[in-house]
Amino acid sequence: MKSTTSGKPVFIARRGGPRLRLVLVRVSVGLLVALAVLPTLPGVGDSALFTLTLMLTSVAVAVNWNLTGGFTGYVDFGHAAWFGIGAYTTAMLMSLQTNGPQIGWPAPPAMILGAVVAGAVAAAIGRATMRLKGPYFSIAMLGTFVAVREIVRVSGGLTGGGVGLTLPPYLNRPLFYYIQLALVAGLVAFTWWLRGTRFGAALVAIREDEVGAEMRGINTTRLKVIVFSFAGFSTGLFGGLWAYQNTFVDPDIAFVELRTVDAVMGTMLGGLGTVAGPVVGTVALFWLRELLWANLLDYHLIAQGVLLIVIVLFLPRGLVGIVDPRGASVTGLWRRWIGRGARENEPGKEP
Amino acid sequence: MTALLDARGVVKRFGGLTAVDGVDISVGPGELVGLIGPNGSGKTTLFDCLSRISAIDSGSISFDGVDITRHRPHQVARLGLARTFQLIRVYRELTVSENMELSIQWRRVGTARLFGRTDAATRRRVESLLEFLLLSGLRHERAGALSGGQRRLLEIGMALMSEPKLMLLDEATSGVNPTLVAEIADRLREVNANGVAILLVEHNVGFVAELCHRVVVLDRGAKLAEGTPRQIMEDPAVIEAYFGAEGE
Repeated sequence: MKSTTSGKPVFIARRGGPRLRLVLVRVSVGLLVALAVLPTLPGVGDSALFTLTLMLTSVAVAVNWNLTGGFTGYVDFGHAAWFGIGAYTTAMLMSLQTNGPQIGWPAPPAMILGAVVAGAVAAAIGRATMRLKGPYFSIAMLGTFVAVREIVRVSGGLTGGGVGLTLPPYLNRPLFYYIQLALVAGLVAFTWWLRGTRFGAALVAIREDEVGAEMRGINTTRLKVIVFSFAGFSTGLFGGLWAYQNTFVDPDIAFVELRTVDAVMGTMLGGLGTVAGPVVGTVALFWLRELLWANLLDYHLIAQGVLLIVIVLFLPRGLVGIVDPRGASVTGLWRRWIGRGARENEPGKEP
Repeated sequence: MTALLDARGVVKRFGGLTAVDGVDISVGPGELVGLIGPNGSGKTTLFDCLSRISAIDSGSISFDGVDITRHRPHQVARLGLARTFQLIRVYRELTVSENMELSIQWRRVGTARLFGRTDAATRRRVESLLEFLLLSGLRHERAGALSGGQRRLLEIGMALMSEPKLMLLDEATSGVNPTLVAEIADRLREVNANGVAILLVEHNVGFVAELCHRVVVLDRGAKLAEGTPRQIMEDPAVIEAYFGAEGE
């Protein structure tokens, strides 16, 4: 884009400005009201509500992944570990099964403690892994995910091992749906608020140029670990909620790689580093997957792969980037991830 | 006069290569010092050591009376040492204003303000610095869309936002057109006249001679000479380092 001496017109128009923000707020409120009245409509049964609740869970995981992957530029391939830890802690605290610890807590404190444990583990792991950059961090997180799953599998006395744990059943689908909707709405509102603060801006600075951010006085390690821990806490909370709805956990359903893959794909499809991106992208991905599965049963995974390539090539800023290009581009993130950008700016190099 | 920045016997090695070899360098309050030397003489590496981006192998560095030898870069920045880079480091995806707002003095940002929004005082400071650097018309532009010279100015503005006591400027005129070089020189003089000390790495020796009170010359990682610009320009060792020995 060309520079202007008058400043405002060109970029403000492209970035949307207050008018676009107003439209987005109105659309969001309208959508929220529509989702709130949905369970009262005829023909919307428990099955549909369960599907929608699962979709909201995916949205929440993507929003949390975006805090580290999108805003801060640290591509976490092990994010689903926090979901599994939240789910398992909740299950261990609630379950009365003989192969578990038989504590029998009610759901709310169990889920909150599940989230706290996930956040605490994320803080401990993050302090070590967030010193790594690019693929080293991503692979370390993937390794963490696999390690945590295997620890859960072999800790039979506490976790039920490979057999898993059953939770006391409570099958009120509308209630779960409303709780999930309220939590997701709160999480998105929180992310929107956070992005507008100095903290949120500093996260973007870390993504754009971590050495520069550090040299300008930002304690990058502290901020990275805070946001990583919060993402772990929040994803852990949704993990606990999922476990309670599912009434059963075992290592293979609580720790699923696809949950991270979906968060990454949904965020990329919607728009990395934007508030609305993970929401729009995950919903689109969810329905697109259903569509592909229904029409291209044998090839739906190939079609998904092709979709990912198309996004990178033609929509590097995702669907939200069409109207609001403030987020990060997938290509930019890729360059930073593989270290090309970092090498170009490496301190101490003569041209 | 107590030095603002005082580095003693700084050594930095990369494997078998000694990039900085026992350099002593100091900058007093309000001083404008030039650091010159041929390509590969270790100027930028020394800057990386002084700003704590690179750890040193031996020696000591103190800034404003504080031993910063083991500090992290953000701690040094919070003491009032700002830095620009040879390869410009601005946040390309953010606007000019956002770049400036993010370069505040973070020492003053406690936990409560960390979760606050940009205040009116910061916005006023951004406006006035952008005006000073002739960038006010570009405040809403994405930094990545600016020309090289404008980005240089923005980077200087970002350094100034942090209310520095000392600025380390690495190749502030590299890739900048001559008109803008004169503007940068004027702005640096004014900044320095307001009490901000400057240590300047430059290839443009004329620019350094015109601007600086004192010049330090590096060659092959070691300090070769130090003195006024005139003394440096007439020093045979410096001439030899830049142009080779007479008769060669």
